[in-house]
Amino acid sequence: MYVMHNSEYPLSCFALFENGPCLIADTNFDVLMVKLKGFFQSAKASKIETRGTRYQYCDFLVKVGTVTMGPSARGISVEVEYGPCVVASDCWSLLLEFLQSFLGSHTPGPPTVFGNRHDAVYGPADTMIQYMELFNKIRKQQQVPVAGIR
Amino acid sequence: MSGVRAVRISIESACEKQVQEVGLDGTETYLQPLSMSQNLARLAQRIDFSQGSGSEEDEAAGPDGDAQDWAGAGAEQDDEEGLVKFQPSLWPWDSVRNNLRSALTEMCVLYDVLSIVRDKKFMTLDPVSQDALPPKQSPQTLQLISKKKSLAGAAQILLKGAERLTKSVTENQENKLQRDFNSELLRLRQHWKLRKVGDKILGDLSYRSAGSLFPHHGTFEVIKNTDIDLDKKIPEDYCPLDVQIPSDLEGSAYIKVSIQKQAPDIGDLGTVNLFKRPLPKSKPGSPHWQTKLEAAQNVLLCKEIFAQLSREAVQIKSQIPHIVVKNQIISQPFPSLQLSISLCHSSNDKKSQKCATEKPGPEDHLYVLEHNLHLLIREFHKQTLSSIVMPHPASAPFGHKRMRLSGPQAFDKNEINSIQSTEGLLEKIIKQAKHIFLRSRTAATIDSLASRIEDPQIQAHWSNINDVYESSVKVLITSQGYEQICKSIQLQLNIGVEQVRVVHRDGRVITLSHQEQELQDFLLSQMSQHQVHAVQQLAKVMGWQVLSFSNHVGLGPIESIGNASAITVASPSGDYAISVRNGPESGSKIMVQFPRNQCKDLPKSDVLQDSKWSHLRGPFKEVQWNKMEGRNFVYKMELLMSALSPCLL
Repeated sequence: MYVMHNSEYPLSCFALFENGPCLIADTNFDVLMVKLKGFFQSAKASKIETRGTRYQYCDFLVKVGTVTMGPSARGISVEVEYGPCVVASDCWSLLLEFLQSFLGSHTPGPPTVFGNRHDAVYGPADTMIQYMELFNKIRKQQQVPVAGIR
Repeated sequence: MSGVRAVRISIESACEKQVQEVGLDGTETYLQPLSMSQNLARLAQRIDFSQGSGSEEDEAAGPDGDAQDWAGAGAEQDDEEGLVKFQPSLWPWDSVRNNLRSALTEMCVLYDVLSIVRDKKFMTLDPVSQDALPPKQSPQTLQLISKKKSLAGAAQILLKGAERLTKSVTENQENKLQRDFNSELLRLRQHWKLRKVGDKILGDLSYRSAGSLFPHHGTFEVIKNTDIDLDKKIPEDYCPLDVQIPSDLEGSAYIKVSIQKQAPDIGDLGTVNLFKRPLPKSKPGSPHWQTKLEAAQNVLLCKEIFAQLSREAVQIKSQIPHIVVKNQIISQPFPSLQLSISLCHSSNDKKSQKCATEKPGPEDHLYVLEHNLHLLIREFHKQTLSSIVMPHPASAPFGHKRMRLSGPQAFDKNEINSIQSTEGLLEKIIKQAKHIFLRSRTAATIDSLASRIEDPQIQAHWSNINDVYESSVKVLITSQGYEQICKSIQLQLNIGVEQVRVVHRDGRVITLSHQEQELQDFLLSQMSQHQVHAVQQLAKVMGWQVLSFSNHVGLGPIESIGNASAITVASPSGDYAISVRNGPESGSKIMVQFPRNQCKDLPKSDVLQDSKWSHLRGPFKEVQWNKMEGRNFVYKMELLMSALSPCLL
């Protein structure tokens, strides 16, 4: 189980399982996990975070950050969010065009969260799932820093 | 009597038994007749043993038949005290016979009198002469008399009751000085919350129950006033109970908000003179503990306001930081303007009262803002008790109830900001102070212009209904005497917190900053434009033709404020034309164009062969406007126009 925080939602805490449910909770959830320390072990004590600047261009929100694990930097993350649309399948093409304008050949394919349910409403949990997948990917790659783009 | 036939009288005995009750179906229940011993007991009761034999006025009230004669007769005849003899009756019908005989006597007498009166020889009946009373009145007088009697009886009762009440009231007055600790405590309890802790009585004068979150305890103690000497005279304002307020709430306090023009010296900060205002007068009937407690509560509220303001002054980042020194907060809402909020608290020591008191200047203390501060802190109190906040789960902190959902529903920063009110007390009060200052400065600017410049006239109509952050004024620029024609310059000024927004009649919206020079320049340029607009309207009225009109001409000397405007009008016959150029700084310049045949110094040439060309307008000549007759510009213009339009004779 992964516990994640996002500065975009400052008062929330996300708890994720891979391919499983995602819980959105209050920040007291961390305190709760500390209290439950006796019942499970925190794996590896490796904390990944991405930290950077947030740019707002009309309806687009672009966040570029450096992914660090401990003291070492592992990669760069770019997040693009299109504010007005909540249905994923409607705006994927627009997002793709926007990404192509500055990423060129590095533009990724459609994210897997879109895959199964095209017309479902997108929520913050989906963002966290994408981050989780990205971090796992980066964790698996050892020393060589690779730009992981979402 | 002897010749009269004997009258038969039939006698029947009364029913033996008295009816006790009649049942619903008509059956009668009889009282059992008294037995011998009961009868004897009844008779014995009627004997008055206290009467001696010598009393003559011994007739018992109301003849009742058998026993009364015996008792009365027995008492009269007896010489010894206390002995009663029964005189046995001869036969039971004795009294009946006597009564009947006396009745007979009376009837015979009456018969004799009536028979004599009937003859009218020896006795006549005459009616008593009296005034004929209308028959209705006599029952009325009777009613009146009976009513008087009954009212007198009721009045007696009421007077007795009133006497009793006045007696008790006077008693109360006397006892007032010796009144009870408990009754005074009851009075105290009607105004303040009290609780008993151990053997002490404590009270609460904080605003905590009204929603305040200030950490002061605000408890006062109620003590019995036992230093009274019963031998000496009790003083007038003696009160058996006394309150002891916390030492830091003694005296009285107020918050002073003032705006000063010059920036202070750094060394002068924090040296605000404490305390000038005299104590507010308490209501005449209120006891001394009430005034004391109210003053202490006011001190507590002022402390809370100041604590909140200073906390915000330190925490909130603003472009020009606020300075908090001792009991004063200084901020700069506008450059070269300083707003100072200070807490003036004086205790009731004799030392501080000896300090020289200086009179606060009229500009100095903004009472409106002080009042608004009190209102704002009360608003803040009410918010903690509003239905948005209460009721709340025991584990949740104080706050808007939607904030509890912000975690589980992953609110982002925009949504969080929309829930929370971001403005604190200090920001609000600074905004209000800025608005007040801007409004007074705008008013001063308009007034100074109006008094300085007479032509055209400037009128300001201030709106009565204002907001704390916005006021509005309508400014009209007119010429005296021509208000109906020349009304094209009408400005609506909306004075906000930092800017003044001007809406022109022609739809332009201009935003001016807080500098007063901008507003002044703008108004001056509008005044010069007004003159030219006035000429345009006047031309319409007088029948002159407008040849050209420009609000911002590009010719001639450059103005430092705004632009010059110009207009050219031609007379109805076309002979003359007037050209006007008016600028805010350069003033007005008026030229008249004459027809060619009126100018003598034109060079003759062979090009113009026809004489009709001499009727065209030719050169311009300037008018000496200051020598022109007329009260104001438009009047002079009207005279000029009428002078140049010849009358048809």
